[in-house]
Amino acid sequence: MVESGFSLADDTAVVAQFANRLAGSDKALDDARPILRHLLVNDDHELFSDRIVAAVRAQLRDIAFQLVAGVETAAGNPEPRGAAEDACDSLALAFANHPLLLGHAHALALEAALAERLAARLGLEPVLSPLLQELIASPDAATSASAMNLLAAQARFGQTQRRGELPLGELPGDLLHAALIVMRTWIGADDRARDAHAATAERAIRADYDEATSRLGLLQRLVTGMGGGAIAALDLAHGGIALFATALALGSGHERDRAVLALSEGQVPRVALALLACGLKPAAAEAQVVALHPDAPLPPEFDSLGPASAARLLAGADR
Amino acid sequence: MNPGAVIVARARSDRDERLLSADEPLAALQRACGGSIPGIVAIPQLLELVRKAGHYRMKLARVVHARDETNAISAWVEVSPDDEGCALAISNWRAAPLTGAEALGGDDDLAGVAAQCADLHARLDARQQVLAVSRAGASLEPVAAMMREASGRPWTDFVDVAGSSHRQPLHWRLLDGAEITCGEGPGRWVARLFPLGGDRGAVAGFDLYLVGIDAGPLPDPDGAKSIGDPADDPLDGVLGRDLAPALRQPIARIIANAETIRTRLAGPLADEYAGYAGDIAEAARLLQGLVEDLADLEAIEAPGFAPAPDRIDLADAARRAAGILGVRARERSIVVEVPGEGVEVPATGEYRRVLQVLLNLLGNALRYSPEGTTVRLEVKLRGKRASVTVADEGPGLTPEQQAKVFDKFERLGRGGDGGSGLGLYISRYLARAMQGDLTVTSAAGEGARFTLELPAA
Repeated sequence: MVESGFSLADDTAVVAQFANRLAGSDKALDDARPILRHLLVNDDHELFSDRIVAAVRAQLRDIAFQLVAGVETAAGNPEPRGAAEDACDSLALAFANHPLLLGHAHALALEAALAERLAARLGLEPVLSPLLQELIASPDAATSASAMNLLAAQARFGQTQRRGELPLGELPGDLLHAALIVMRTWIGADDRARDAHAATAERAIRADYDEATSRLGLLQRLVTGMGGGAIAALDLAHGGIALFATALALGSGHERDRAVLALSEGQVPRVALALLACGLKPAAAEAQVVALHPDAPLPPEFDSLGPASAARLLAGADR
Repeated sequence: MNPGAVIVARARSDRDERLLSADEPLAALQRACGGSIPGIVAIPQLLELVRKAGHYRMKLARVVHARDETNAISAWVEVSPDDEGCALAISNWRAAPLTGAEALGGDDDLAGVAAQCADLHARLDARQQVLAVSRAGASLEPVAAMMREASGRPWTDFVDVAGSSHRQPLHWRLLDGAEITCGEGPGRWVARLFPLGGDRGAVAGFDLYLVGIDAGPLPDPDGAKSIGDPADDPLDGVLGRDLAPALRQPIARIIANAETIRTRLAGPLADEYAGYAGDIAEAARLLQGLVEDLADLEAIEAPGFAPAPDRIDLADAARRAAGILGVRARERSIVVEVPGEGVEVPATGEYRRVLQVLLNLLGNALRYSPEGTTVRLEVKLRGKRASVTVADEGPGLTPEQQAKVFDKFERLGRGGDGGSGLGLYISRYLARAMQGDLTVTSAAGEGARFTLELPAA
């Protein structure tokens, strides 16, 4: 029997709930078509291969796991890791809704996959490139020390990627900040005690963080330290993929995540232009594009573009 | 400062993102960006970074890009927030002369200023022919009318470019900043040309602004023109007017690139090759100094050259000179003693010329004194003469050397150290042109004392 006292308030609550659910499923249906079309039309499966998708999911889950474990530790839970295992999936979902975090995990997964592919095809050592060796041998003590630290960070990066991990300390500062905000929103302010533990955990994470020691920080520091010599990093075989991507980003004014995406198949024009914008001669840029994608054709009359027009084209395309 | 040299500087900011203290070269950049110390961080990307680090309460480390008048600057900055504000550590400081393309894209501010105070604005094509005259003040209305009548002719057909009898139009860089008059009419203007980008990096055209000279000074895009530059002096010399501006940028690039190689920033390099790169940089620096000096020589020897006398403070000029060369002094561990803040020695002379002389004297003292010594700048007021003396603890000069040290191209047997042999000649010429003198007293082995004397004010 239907309850007689069906109040107006209950009614609106139910309507709102259904409306929300419908909106959510609408969005899922709307999203499904472009994704399917993309997968059908583009032969660029590299970007969305099962392996990449799995790696992105694992990394987002790992960020969530570390944060929840931190909160559990702050709450005095003797088994923080077990509790975090149980709770972190829904937080990982919240991260997937954050475009920059999602994009970053995606770019890292692609970078790791690309490093493996180039190691297999060109025999490129994924951790210690010739340029990194030279930097380690630099007579400048600061450069040499940064290069040693980068060597260790590169080795850790390979390991963590294989395990589907993304340590908090390796996130760029802005993304760690974003992740912490997502985490605090996810926990909510209703549970006063839990919110306080989250605040404690957050303070500790922020105080521990040092962007300069992260892999991406070290890469950026070394490449900018090379000044005009950074062009040496724009040789895949010499610089290795990590230094190459950072030099490409800095030289062409891209975000690094975007520069890594540009290295994937189907982005040949973008990476070619970015290399030109960095000041590479057309023949040298072409050699790099061929090293990345031996089968992909270069845009015709590519070699008639100068660095300035390449940079302008890229700036226009990014708008 | 050497382009490519690696410098480490420290700085502190408070909780309101005000820079409380900063080592050079950050302090100079803060001032070049219009800020002060203490004062809010004026370097846009640095301000953003300091704000973020304070807001996030995280140690951040990023590349910061900025520009001063002549250079594109980049530096690696590590910001550590604490309870009082942030501690900043700056390394990998690099200053590279702006390239044509950067200057092309980056002069928007300047173009905006010019547009605000211009009496006439015209759009030119790539060959500097008038396409349209979009705005004119009353004083230039006749010229604007002529331009509208006969559009398609070079803009230089309608005005007179002061001090130039070359076939016009010259390259735009040579006309940018030139003084303009119109027939017999009164009034003088400065022409400012701002190139407009076209396809493939070519110049598609120009915005031409004629700015009345009484409208106040417009910042000069080429800061190298500030001291001892002949561009604003009336002279017919080819070198000063045409050649020197064209030579500055390529030479600066040679120095920058050679320094990059010398400091092994592109990777390790055998010692002898780094040495060669050092030689290239040194030679280019010599060339750079020579170009500046020759241009200057031409300016001051031109008929009609006269410094503009003004009431100035010699003690202030001395402190300023020491501030400008502070980095070089620290690099050589030389202490520069300057007159105290309260000291004032009023004299009559042209401030920038006096500063030029002092920079030359102090530069020499820093170059030829042993490391770890002291250079003193002493000011004196005696009757109707005011003087400033630069005293070093270097090897000093013999009487024979003193007799010829002020001669043109005199190098006293030194070579390859960046001197042109013109600096002291020009300095004495300037001193005498200001009714003063430049003299030296020294005994070999006891250091040299160069004294600039001017009429007291």
